[in-house]
Amino acid sequence: MKFLEYTPLARINAYLSTVNLGDSLLKGHLEAYSCKGAGLDKKHFRELEQEVIDSLVSSPSNLSISPVGPLSSSTSRKTFIYLVLAMNQVYPDYDFRLLHPSSFEKEDFESVKLNVDNYLLETAKVWACEFGEDSSLCNVIWEAIDEVIVIEDCDVYCYKPESENDDFTDRGTIWSFSYFFYNRKLKRILCFCCQCLSKLAIDDDSLEDICSEEETEYYFEGMDMD
Amino acid sequence: MAAKAAVGSAVNRILDLLEASPDGLSQESLNQSLGSTDQAGAAQALNMLLSRRQVQIFKQGNTIVYKRPPKDESGKFKGLTPDDMLVYQVIQQASNMGIWTKDMKRTTNLQQPQVAKAIKNLEARNLIKAVKSIANKNKKVYMLAELKPSKELTGGAWYTDQQFDSEFINVMKQQCVQFVMKQGLASVETIADAVRKSGITKEELRVKDYKQLMDMLVLDGEVEETVSTGVGPFSAFPPDTVLYRSAQSQLSETSAFTNIPCGVCPVLHECTEDGLISPKTCVYYQDWLKF
Repeated sequence: MKFLEYTPLARINAYLSTVNLGDSLLKGHLEAYSCKGAGLDKKHFRELEQEVIDSLVSSPSNLSISPVGPLSSSTSRKTFIYLVLAMNQVYPDYDFRLLHPSSFEKEDFESVKLNVDNYLLETAKVWACEFGEDSSLCNVIWEAIDEVIVIEDCDVYCYKPESENDDFTDRGTIWSFSYFFYNRKLKRILCFCCQCLSKLAIDDDSLEDICSEEETEYYFEGMDMD
Repeated sequence: MAAKAAVGSAVNRILDLLEASPDGLSQESLNQSLGSTDQAGAAQALNMLLSRRQVQIFKQGNTIVYKRPPKDESGKFKGLTPDDMLVYQVIQQASNMGIWTKDMKRTTNLQQPQVAKAIKNLEARNLIKAVKSIANKNKKVYMLAELKPSKELTGGAWYTDQQFDSEFINVMKQQCVQFVMKQGLASVETIADAVRKSGITKEELRVKDYKQLMDMLVLDGEVEETVSTGVGPFSAFPPDTVLYRSAQSQLSETSAFTNIPCGVCPVLHECTEDGLISPKTCVYYQDWLKF
């Protein structure tokens, strides 16, 4: 999957990558990828498709209905594989090829917008402090997304992490969401994933992962330390 | 140039010395053995040999020791960049537990694209392999190609292909129960031997695994645990060995206690002759006496 560079997205992505919310930290990604595969991608795609077909053969009833559509149809398989490849891009330390289609769920855009706006309430306040009351983070985000991927032509999918042993539901993660906007016509997929981590749960080791050195000071701003 | 010649001769001298001492030479001994002329080029020579991987450096306590690597190793690492080697060493240190790419990045301080490239190179040479941990199936974990993943990663005997294999466990339990019933009395070791001999599974199960099975059976009520006294019926087993026999005391479904209402009454302890709850006013008896 090729990463697509869009200035409005890049600006938001850079902002969301670390936002200090006082007693918690927001880490977000807003990235767009092209589904037009080439070379190595095509190979991965075929391998994944073969795996899906194999598992379909072994338990047809289980997989025939899935959130991405009946897996016996190649378009649904394509959608599922694009979702998996997108997940792999956003989280390079993980390999999601073992995922089951039931880990994703199709969502209606209005409820997604409501959800996201809700989650990002705190973040929006911090944004407003920095960029002035006139600028609303959520508006900026939705405008940018619409520009890149034309929301009304999109299918929105949500990744539902498994209840245990997942870093997304790890202790320390207060909430997280992973939405994927898939525009079949444009062959483009946009990933909007955010995680809110509690500062209290982050120990020194993982602090280095999460922030660079300059950010470490920024990290402690807003916390009551005496 | 004279300097180059000095380094050249130092290289050869060092290689000869190290060939002669397969257990390695400490920095001191190396310096002593090198003539004064070669010592000058020694530092440069060593650096060159180290980067060409023709010499390995170890630390023994406080001393530095140089050694010739085993013949095949120099070939293994030929052409790998320092980044690749760094990643390889980090993976090597993780031995059979494997290491997650995120931890790799943290330890090596390399960026994602560099680590990804190094992994690709090492995999292409069959030096490392990807493994799946049952703890978190989605993490990218790597270990040296020749190592067998530890029990923590694969889940041990009871997991097949990352899935908990309850069928396999049931079959094994059956085998154990049958053997115990046949023998009358058996210890974990005898059970383990017998089941292994029966060849029902190729899977290597240790005595610890059989103990787990027997514990399950005890809790299921199918076998009973007892301890050998070394005499009488236990004479075949040394004293204080844990033994298993088929469950003898089966609890019957109903008994006198459960047949009358008082036996199963939830408020039995509050029941008194003249209290709010008493045998005279007992609703359960009313129902029971209705036949």
